[in-house]
Order: sequence, then C-alpha cells, then structure tokens
Amino acid sequence: MTFQAENIRVSYGKTQVLRDVSLTADAGQVTAIVGPNGSGKSTLLGAMTASLPYTGRVSINSTNIKALKPWELASQRAVLPQASRLAFPFTVIEVVRIGHQAGSSGDDPDVPMKALARVGMAHYANRTFQELSGGEAQRVMLARVLAQVWAPVLNGQPRWLLLDEPVSSLDIAHQLQVMEIARDFANAGGGVIAVMHDLNLTALFADRVAVLSGGQNIAEGPTTDVLNDETLSRAYGCTLRVSALPSTKAPFILPHTATA
Amino acid sequence: MIMIARKNRRLLAAATLLFGSLTAFEANATDAKADVLALGGSVTEIVVALGQQHRLLARDTTSTYPPEITGLPDVGYIRALSPEGVLSVGPSLIISEDDAGPPETVEIIKEADVTFVQVPDALTTEGILDKITIVGDALGVPHVANVLAENVRAKMTAAISDANRPEASKKRVMFVLSTQGGKINASGTGTAADAIIRMAGGVNAVTEYEGYKQITDEAVGLAAPDVILMMDRGDHGVANGELFAMSSIQLTPAARTQSVVRLNGLLMLGFGPRTAEAIRALNAALYASNDGA
Amino acid sequence: MTALSDVIAAPKDRVHRARSLHWVLALLLGLAALASLEVGATDVSLSALLLKLVQGQELSHIEQIVLYDIRLPRLAMGIVVGSALAVSGATMQGLFRNPLADPGIVGVGAGAGLGAILSIVLGAVLPASILAVAGNHLTSLAAFLGGWGSTLILYRVSTRHGRTSVATMLLAGIALGSLAGAVSGILVYMADDQQLRDLTFWGMGSLAGASWTKVFAAAPLILLSVGTALYLGRGLNGLALGEATAAHIGIDVQKMKSITILAVAGATGAAVAVSGGIGFIGIVVPHVLRLASGPDHRTLLLNSALLGATLLILADVIARVIIAPAELPIGIVTAVLGAPVFLWILLKRRGLVEL
Repeated sequence: MTFQAENIRVSYGKTQVLRDVSLTADAGQVTAIVGPNGSGKSTLLGAMTASLPYTGRVSINSTNIKALKPWELASQRAVLPQASRLAFPFTVIEVVRIGHQAGSSGDDPDVPMKALARVGMAHYANRTFQELSGGEAQRVMLARVLAQVWAPVLNGQPRWLLLDEPVSSLDIAHQLQVMEIARDFANAGGGVIAVMHDLNLTALFADRVAVLSGGQNIAEGPTTDVLNDETLSRAYGCTLRVSALPSTKAPFILPHTATA
Repeated sequence: MIMIARKNRRLLAAATLLFGSLTAFEANATDAKADVLALGGSVTEIVVALGQQHRLLARDTTSTYPPEITGLPDVGYIRALSPEGVLSVGPSLIISEDDAGPPETVEIIKEADVTFVQVPDALTTEGILDKITIVGDALGVPHVANVLAENVRAKMTAAISDANRPEASKKRVMFVLSTQGGKINASGTGTAADAIIRMAGGVNAVTEYEGYKQITDEAVGLAAPDVILMMDRGDHGVANGELFAMSSIQLTPAARTQSVVRLNGLLMLGFGPRTAEAIRALNAALYASNDGA
Repeated sequence: MTALSDVIAAPKDRVHRARSLHWVLALLLGLAALASLEVGATDVSLSALLLKLVQGQELSHIEQIVLYDIRLPRLAMGIVVGSALAVSGATMQGLFRNPLADPGIVGVGAGAGLGAILSIVLGAVLPASILAVAGNHLTSLAAFLGGWGSTLILYRVSTRHGRTSVATMLLAGIALGSLAGAVSGILVYMADDQQLRDLTFWGMGSLAGASWTKVFAAAPLILLSVGTALYLGRGLNGLALGEATAAHIGIDVQKMKSITILAVAGATGAAVAVSGGIGFIGIVVPHVLRLASGPDHRTLLLNSALLGATLLILADVIARVIIAPAELPIGIVTAVLGAPVFLWILLKRRGLVEL
C-alpha cells in the first residue's frame, strides 16, 4: 500500500512552484521530504493533502484522493500543519477530541487521553490551548493528529500521518520523542510522510528520503543512498559532507564541515 | 387610583368653571363613567375643551395639556403603542390623531370591540373645526362641539386678521426643530410650523423644500431669517448662547438682533383649540419690539 | 496508569456541564415563557385564566384577546427571534473564528435596514396592487428581502471557483454596509418627521408588533435555519482549527460555509424583519455560555438557542411592564440589562479574554 503523488504541478499565480514532482511513500516506512527553503517541500505536502489546487494525481492506498469524500479521507490520513492557531479557548483535551471524532478510531473514549499521554501532555489536559508554549502546542496538535488515526492499520488498510515540520519548535528531547512516535507508527504498519528541516533527524529516523530543489524532485530512495555529499550539495547549494558513525551506520551532517 | 380620582375631581371643578356654560347643553354628560383614551395632544385638548375630561382614562406621551391630565396613565408614544398597554386601561372609546400605530396594534384594538375614532390632521382653521366636530360626535356631545367650534372659529378669524400686516413689514421666520450636533434641522413648507408662522403674520424663511430637514450652514444665511423660532424646552439661557454661537446662525439677521422666540411645542404646532392663542403669542413675540401690530 | 485515569476523569467536566446546561436552560425558558404569559399591562394573568377554565367558566372577550392575540404570539415571536439571534451570533463567530462577529458582518443588518427604510419612506409610491398584497407587512417583507439579498450579493462577491473567502466577505461586507448606510442616509433625508420616528422605533426593535401572521411568516424559516445551524457544531469546532485543518479532519469546508451563511441570513433576516434591530443577544449569549461551559459548538449552539430565547422573553416582559401601560423598545432593555452584566462577567474573570 502506498501514498503516491504523480506529476504534481502547483503554481502560485504565474510562478510554477512544483514542476512534475512525483513521490511514492510505502506503508510501514517513514518517508521524509527534505530540501532547502523555498524548494517546494510544504507545497508538495499541501498538494498531497488537497489543501491547495494542483494538477497531477494523488492517491492513497491506490484511490485518487479526489474521488474520496472529506470524511473518508479523514479516516485514512491525518495531517499535522506547521503552525496551528485556535480560535476559541478550547482545552487541550477538547482539541484532541476534535481530532478523535474526525477519524474512525472506534468507540474507545480513552483514545484522546492516550494520545495526550503519548506526547507527554496528559497532565495539561485541562489547560486552555492558548496558555501553551509553542512547543507544547505543537505536541498537542500531534496528539490530535494521532487520535484521528490512532490505529496505524484499520480493516487491513494502512493509515497515514502527514507531518509538516513536526519538530520545528521543539527542544532536542521532544524532537526525539516526536520522531520516535512517527517511527512507531510506521513500525506498526502505518505510513508516515514528513517534511523535515533537520537532516540529522531525517537520517536517524527516515527509511526513505525525497530531496526537493527548485520545485523538482532531484533524488528519491532509501535514506542511506540519497543522503550523500553530491545530492545534498546540489540541493542546498553548498558543499556538504555526509559522515557516518560506525556504531549506527546512520549518516550525519555537521555544519562545521560545510563550505558555502 | 385614588390619586387619579381626586385629580379628576379637581380637574372637573376647574373645567366646570371654565366651560360650565358649554357642558350645560348636554346635561347628563358629566355623569358618564371614564371610558375614553385620547391619543394625540390636540385630541386630548379638544376632549378637555368639550368638558369631557372626566371621561378620560389615559393619554399618550404627546398629550401634555392641560397640565392636570398629565396625572393620567401614559400609554406611550402614539406611533409605537402596545396593544396590551392600550387595553389595560380599559377604554371603550379611543379617539386618536391620524398617526396612531403601529398598524398591528390598531388591528388588535379594533378586534377587542373598542371603538376607534381617527381624527385627520389639520393645518387650517377648518381643519381644527373638523377635529372638534369629530371628537364631539364620538363623545356624544355634538352640541357642545358646535358651540366650541364656533367659538374657536371666531377666535381664529380674529387672531389671524389681527396678526396680518403688509407683506413688506413681515418678518422672515425660520423654525428650527433641532440643532443636534451643530446641524440645523429647519422647517420647510407644508408643516405645522410653516402654517403657524404664516397665520401669525410672518414669512417662512425656508421655502425650498417640504417638511423638516437638515439645512446646510450657508443656506441658513441665504434664508436670512429675522427671527429664529424654536420649541420651548425650558433651558433658555444656555440654549440661546449655544444657538447664536453657531456659525450658520451668525450669518443671519436674527443673530445681529439676538432674536429667538420659543413657544411650547404642543401649543404652537398642535392645531387644537388653543391655536388662536398660539397665533397671538407668536405674533406678539415676533413684533413686540417694534409696533405691536 | 493510575495517574492517567485520574486525569481522564477530570476533563469530562465541561462536556457534562454543557449537557446538563441544556436541561437547566430549557427549564429557565419554560419559566420565562410562563412569566411572559402571566404578566402584562392588563391584570389578565395566566394562572387566573387557567383557574377559570378548570372551573368551566368562559374567558371574557378581552381575556381571550390578551392571551391568544397579544401574549401568545408575542411569546412565540420572542422564542423564535431570541433563538435566531443567539444561534446566528454563535454560528457567525464560529465561521469567522472571532467571538466579536455577528450577523451584521454578512450584511444582514445593513440590508434589512435599507429594506425597511425603503418601505417606510417610499412604500406609499408603490403600485396599489403590491400595497394591497403586502399590507401592513410591507416593512417586514422589505427588511427580509433586503437582508437576504445583501447576504446573497456578498456571498457571490466572495466566492471564486467554488471557494468562499471569509476575508473577502468581511471586507465586502464593510463596503456593502457603507453603501447601504449611504443609501439609507439619502432616504432618511427624504423622509418626513413621522417616517423618521418610525425609522427610529424600527431601529430600536420591539416585539410589540407581534401577531400570528408575523409568527407564521417568520417561524418556519427561522426554525429551519436554526435547526440546520444546530447541526453545524462539529464543523464549526473543526473550523476553529483553521480552514485547512478543518478540511483535513473531514469537514466539507465549502459546504459548511454555504450552509452557515444561508442559515444565518435566513434566521437573522426573518428575525430582523418581524422585530426590527435587536442588538446584544447575538454577542453576549454565546460569550456567556463559552465562559460557563466551554466553546464546544456541539453544545454551544443549542444552549445559545435556549438562552437567547429566554433572555429575549424576559427582556420583553420587562419592556412591557416597567412603564406600563406604555412600553420600552426591547433593544433598550437588552442593552441596559445586558451590558452591565457582560462587563461584570468580564471583570470577574481572572485573565483577559482570549480572542
């Protein structure tokens, strides 16, 4: 089962932001989309979540998303936006419940609390969302998304998490926590597609990586294959050196070794 | 209720003194129970002038004369009546000026077996006499009404002819309804103010439009009123200071002579039995300083 | 997991409170309804009439009129108008994600006002045939058409390629409101002083003109609109997270917007048409309820309907007994009583309100 984007084109006015981008993400894997600022990462995710008008085809578990009703789509995939504003003084648990009701996670009324506990925010359940710090708010939103697709596989179909820079306002401990949640979701049979800013976290947690640059997908494949000196240097426009720790085999990139 | 009853009795005594000769025509009239709701200042005045004030149950907000009747229950503004409010005073006859409303209220009142008599508006002597006749008929005192009508006709004719004067010596009068927010709302033609100004031997300074409208500052100067006429709201000193401080008013001859006349609104614009009195009062106020014609 | 179950127990409170509030508010509405049938300018009282009926006595003609033609239609109108105003307010606030939004934003008020002014000032020059059909309800009819029409124009202006931009709607609403205001100004200038007074009273709003004709004309549309709005709770909750997220959690945002706007235009247009402009209910009721039991629209909308109806009925009782036999325009009562209570609630709260 896959989440697929084929020949996606997106234009803002006369500017073409995505030119024929294709991407395939497999269930059971964490697929990362990386690339420099303005490369079209978030735009690609926007097209894949039908948040913006696009041409091309996006399919989830082999069904064109345009053929699905909003609620059908919502029961198969959940989307974490980069930033979240909330209009009224809902409490944390109420926000998570909104997500829970959107999906079809069964009748388990404890899911919202479990989701909050998963992101380490259970003790804030009764706080108003507006009282939270940026990082706390981002984790609560992740809990909302998790509650929507709590079971990674439902009725034999994998479900999907689409995350737009999920760790952007988190400290390092919570960055690891969130990436582990994504990892676990994939390990349990679900699919994860994440727009990532941090190449090292990508290297640590992603199975597959797509590198976008200038609105095009310049490389796609297993993490260790794609994250190499040549591809990254081309994408980011500076000389980058990819190293690997002998103990984990996971590549890492140090800015210290980069030359502009 | 006791207070109202006592007031009624005092009112009755005063009225009998004034109109004793009239009420004598319909002898049993004074024995009737209170059963009438009067709506509109001029209608109420006519009821009282017909010696029928003892039949008044209640009045509306615009009925403020004679002062004794202000002790009666007030059913609100004549154009925004509440059906239950009107019925609560228990009238069997309602006599109203032309503009009673809203229509829904009037409908319900009629449905409740209350006789509803509407009196047309008037801006002439004949109009006032018609009002008196209709009210008199409704109250069942046509003879008293005839006498009152003749009396009013005589007074009106005399007042108007006394007030008349050669065109050239007539003063230009501008009736100012309000100066709210520094904007002058003045009467054009076709209004009660226009009618009373002409009857009192004046010339309406504003004839470019009909009705009461806001007038631009410069047009006030062009209208060149010799006198500003306003309704009396009981705050002369301050109000006159403010009035003549307005730049638009400063453009007028009235400002140079500080000429402002204030009369009671109901007396001046009501077109009821006291209009002759209003004509004389206005005429006297307009020409007091020069010749007293 | 004991710690978890401890915190699980707590967060249910607001949901339960909001649900039990349904019953409390329904009870209050019942009491308010009884009060509005019991008291009025006349000494006719419901309890006395019921006693009479139980004893097998006939009601007098006046008693019948007061009860059946004055107080009952007025009560019915209070209920539908009050719930229409409060629910429209709550719905608009949800749609615009702003607790200060009211139906005025989509041009209902300005349009209805223009319609009313048109009919009051120019009504007399209409062909006699139209006047004969419209009768006394010309102003109501014109206000409704004005309110509904201006909302449809706004909706057209702010919808491109099947997408309605709430921001465009807000701006276009301001422009349309100014235009309607200007045209109204011209008409006000043309009006004579009687018409001006009619306009003033229309603007202050009142249930005094209640009649069964008006109730039967307005109630179906209002009940349909309010009933529809009650089902928008889940969608409005989603919308609180932003349009994009609302779509992600399975809400057909465009459909939601269309339904919301049509429902609000229907409910407010009809309410304004029969009762004139009654302010304050639409802002205060949802706000007070949010403070009491949280912003969850699934309970907020029904509670708003109940509380809005209750408050309007009570305000109407006060309006008609306080200076009886005359009565105050109800808009004055809602503002005089509502504003201080609102300020007091704001003062009592610890922090400032989050917009």
